[in-house]
Amino acid sequence: MTDFIIKYRWFIIRLFIITGAGSFLIIPGIKTDPDIRNYIPESIASRAETDKIESVFGVQDMIMILFSDGMMISHDNLDIIRKIDRSISRISSISDRISPFTVKSIRSEEGMMVVDPLISIIPSDTDGQKKLEKDISENRFAANTVFSDDLTSAAITATLSSSVPETLNLQKIDSALKTETGNMQILRGGLPYIRKYLLEEVNRDAILLIPAALVIMLLVLKVNLGTWRSVLLPFGIVFVTTALSMALIPLFGWKMSIITVLVPVILIAVANNYGIYLVARFQELSLRYPDLSKKDLIRLLLSSLNMPILFSGLTTVSGLLGLMMHSIIPARQVGLLAAAGVSAALLMSLIVVPVMIYVSGIAKFIRKKKTRTTRRFEKLLGRISEIIIARNGIILAVSLSIVLLFVSGIFLLRINTNQENYFSERHPVREASKMINSKFGGSQTISVMIESDILDPVVMNEIDKMTRWAEGQKGIGNVFSISQIVREMSKAIYTKDEYGYDMIPDTREGIAQMFELYNMSGNPEDYRRLLDPAYTKAHILIKLARPENEIIMFVKSGIDELSKGFPGKVTTGGYALIMADFAHSIIRGQIFSLIFAVVTVFLLLSIIFRSFKGGLIGSVPLIASIIVLLGFMGFSGIELDAATALLSSIMIGVGVDFTIQFIWCYNLKVNSGLSFTEAVPEAMSTIGRSIIINALVVMSGFAALIFSGFTSIRFFGYLVIISIGSCMLGALIVIPAILVRYRPGFIGFKTNKTSENEKENNYAGYPSATVAGVSTKS
Amino acid sequence: MLAILLPLLQASAQNPDAAQIMMKCRDLSITRSMTGKMNLKITEKNGSTRNRTISMTSKSYDGGLEKRLIRFLEPADVRGTAMLIVDNRDIPDEMWIYLPALKKTRRIVTSEKGKSFMSSEFSNADMTSPTLSDFSYKHITVAGPANQWIIESIPVTDDKADEYGFSRRISYIDKDSYQTKKMEFYGFDNRLFKVIEIRDVVLLRDGKYMIRDMAASNLLNGRKSEIVFSNLSEGTDIDDSFFTLRNLEK
Repeated sequence: MTDFIIKYRWFIIRLFIITGAGSFLIIPGIKTDPDIRNYIPESIASRAETDKIESVFGVQDMIMILFSDGMMISHDNLDIIRKIDRSISRISSISDRISPFTVKSIRSEEGMMVVDPLISIIPSDTDGQKKLEKDISENRFAANTVFSDDLTSAAITATLSSSVPETLNLQKIDSALKTETGNMQILRGGLPYIRKYLLEEVNRDAILLIPAALVIMLLVLKVNLGTWRSVLLPFGIVFVTTALSMALIPLFGWKMSIITVLVPVILIAVANNYGIYLVARFQELSLRYPDLSKKDLIRLLLSSLNMPILFSGLTTVSGLLGLMMHSIIPARQVGLLAAAGVSAALLMSLIVVPVMIYVSGIAKFIRKKKTRTTRRFEKLLGRISEIIIARNGIILAVSLSIVLLFVSGIFLLRINTNQENYFSERHPVREASKMINSKFGGSQTISVMIESDILDPVVMNEIDKMTRWAEGQKGIGNVFSISQIVREMSKAIYTKDEYGYDMIPDTREGIAQMFELYNMSGNPEDYRRLLDPAYTKAHILIKLARPENEIIMFVKSGIDELSKGFPGKVTTGGYALIMADFAHSIIRGQIFSLIFAVVTVFLLLSIIFRSFKGGLIGSVPLIASIIVLLGFMGFSGIELDAATALLSSIMIGVGVDFTIQFIWCYNLKVNSGLSFTEAVPEAMSTIGRSIIINALVVMSGFAALIFSGFTSIRFFGYLVIISIGSCMLGALIVIPAILVRYRPGFIGFKTNKTSENEKENNYAGYPSATVAGVSTKS
Repeated sequence: MLAILLPLLQASAQNPDAAQIMMKCRDLSITRSMTGKMNLKITEKNGSTRNRTISMTSKSYDGGLEKRLIRFLEPADVRGTAMLIVDNRDIPDEMWIYLPALKKTRRIVTSEKGKSFMSSEFSNADMTSPTLSDFSYKHITVAGPANQWIIESIPVTDDKADEYGFSRRISYIDKDSYQTKKMEFYGFDNRLFKVIEIRDVVLLRDGKYMIRDMAASNLLNGRKSEIVFSNLSEGTDIDDSFFTLRNLEK
């Protein structure tokens, strides 16, 4: 291999540069998709049913413009709202609008049915304002819909037509809002705005996080490898593999999602490891064998590092590929992109790094004297080894207790699929959502479509039953249904003491004629979203004041129960249900990808250690770390969401390396003639420091995520530190304790690549402490 | 400068005042009395259709007052439903509706001229004689069929624009007969959203006419509504007692 890569070195270098440059040029073509609906496969029931309902009643995604002041009912405030409302009405791509000036009042007045706008003339005196306040409180279509109950807020709700791009629609609305607003505070909310802000934040994250991660990585590499020339090799690998992975997004016809932004960060954190091993190892070898030619040094380098790097790479790739079992589309994409990137990094590290070393040379970097920190470090590792040897039973018991404790935390784990929670508490869109949920009946909806003869009184009464059930449930805000309109009309037709008041008419003709009455008095478009023109489909729109997974599932099961024996076909959809399915997809995806990855890692470890017991012991830190992670999330209240659901698979990919490294090294020590007990401090001093440094490199790479605009991604950054930390502790403390206590038979397996030179060093596979720029054999 | 102004001056010299054309056009479309049957067909974008048939009787009075009595014949659910409309020129219309299934007559007050007429693409304003003072008029010079005036009507205030639901309307009027052939309606972003075509008229004496067949196409939702009148008769002597609540409930 060495001869081959040296022979074709210039071709390899050119190919490397062309790949990097070509990929980099494709990256600007990446588009972002902030619509969480597209994260879910079309085959999932809630998405298909929502599409079906929306094909009849239009898209249910609404924007809300919220106005707040101590007292909304003043001439000035209402005048400003009217001007803004008028400006919004001038946007032709607004397909529907509900505002204080469009809401109708249906009332009976001296034998007349009066259908008029709630506000025809803005009252300027106190009496007029008091009357308006009374009208609002008595109008079921105004209270909690266009005015809050406490009259401190008002809202304009609008539905955007899909004929115009959403971003253009929002620009027009923003432009309409550029007016003098007096004392009123204006907030923008609703799913289209959430998507807009998500889009902005994803792009901001891509611009901010990637350079931040690169800078952190550069600094960590500089500290570890000493010279900039040494730094540039792994950095170049990271740069090219990251560009290559990102270029795959447009090439596959995919779009960036909120979680795809994790791909470059994963690669920046992970892909440099192989380069670091090689560069550091070359530094060590060139120092140890100053008389060897560069070619011989590279041959020695590759013979000693090929296998462990390959095994590490394969376990990482298999862990990441576990995400392919995920039902969430971007999660699969992250798995494939990151696995492709790590594979490319593996390949390039094994080919390009040696070529570049051959062509450019690497400055020999070695500190002649151990620093005080290093001495303390080695003392600490030595002390840990002593404790492991003396108290391995206690260590295992304590570790088991900790793991069991965290198992109980898993039962507290909650799932969060509410996109609003991606933003920080003070983000304007989060404040808007809070106001919508608390004062305007909720921002997320469940839609129920009934296909039947809607004019049939039996059907209408069942619709009314379902509507009333929904109105009475906790967590549900506003409910809109055609049966409510029929009942309101009945109030305008009959007097309170007459039979028929606030009732559904007994006959089909009665209902039909009531609609005719409304057609003539109000505007049939008013209920177009609740009843199709042929009267064969009705729509119940349920807004959720608490769009939580439990509430959504409760409402869904309630509707399913009421649908049994319903005289018509009932279809249940809506964005909130898509979110609930999203939550279940997260759980299923988490379980499937975990099982896939754990089994794969177990098999790989079994092959590497040539023993199932070896595979089982090697999997212990990983499984324990997953439990600790999920338990910690349960105890700390960090919820499982689109981003944090990827943690365990990424952790498998990254964290299992440490176990392989330790057992590989420990095995070599035992093979060299040391006892199980003697091998612990030796392995610890050889590989312990490398594992710690590597863990720090990975953690620091992921630390860039704390700059993310999304709460979820920030949590992801913190959780990576915990999970990688627990993997590291598992590899350095639990694994040696198991090995010393149980002395498994698989230890002593022979490695193919063990050379005489490496045996001399007692350790063939790893660059020992040279990752830190320090030779342990100096 | 003269070169720019000359065509405008010529156009102004050649065309009668736009408001006067619209007034004459309106006058010719107002009949003293009329009876007939009207079929309304609404075709959805997907091709599904709904039909309604009503009988209509109307009578005009001095001062712009017009009374109409409408009775639903189809569909069966609403057969017998009847409406009495008093169309005032300057004050909101008065409307009574009789619902035979509920055995109730209710008076309705509404001021929305832009709202849909019977769930069709026609608005209430399209179905009544226009109130001339609500708009300002001018000739426009765009390409159109020969021998037609092309007149733009713009609501005089924002409130009127809200009421009617459009920012401007372009009317194509035959120069010889003063009959409106086509109307184009533009939204507030100046996008054409609705076109009404007058496909057939019944000529009366004194150059007056009644529309027999017209179609409204909504360019935004792809829906089309067509109205065809049949059994039309004009000028019959209708007693004022026909337009009473007692007759409505018959």
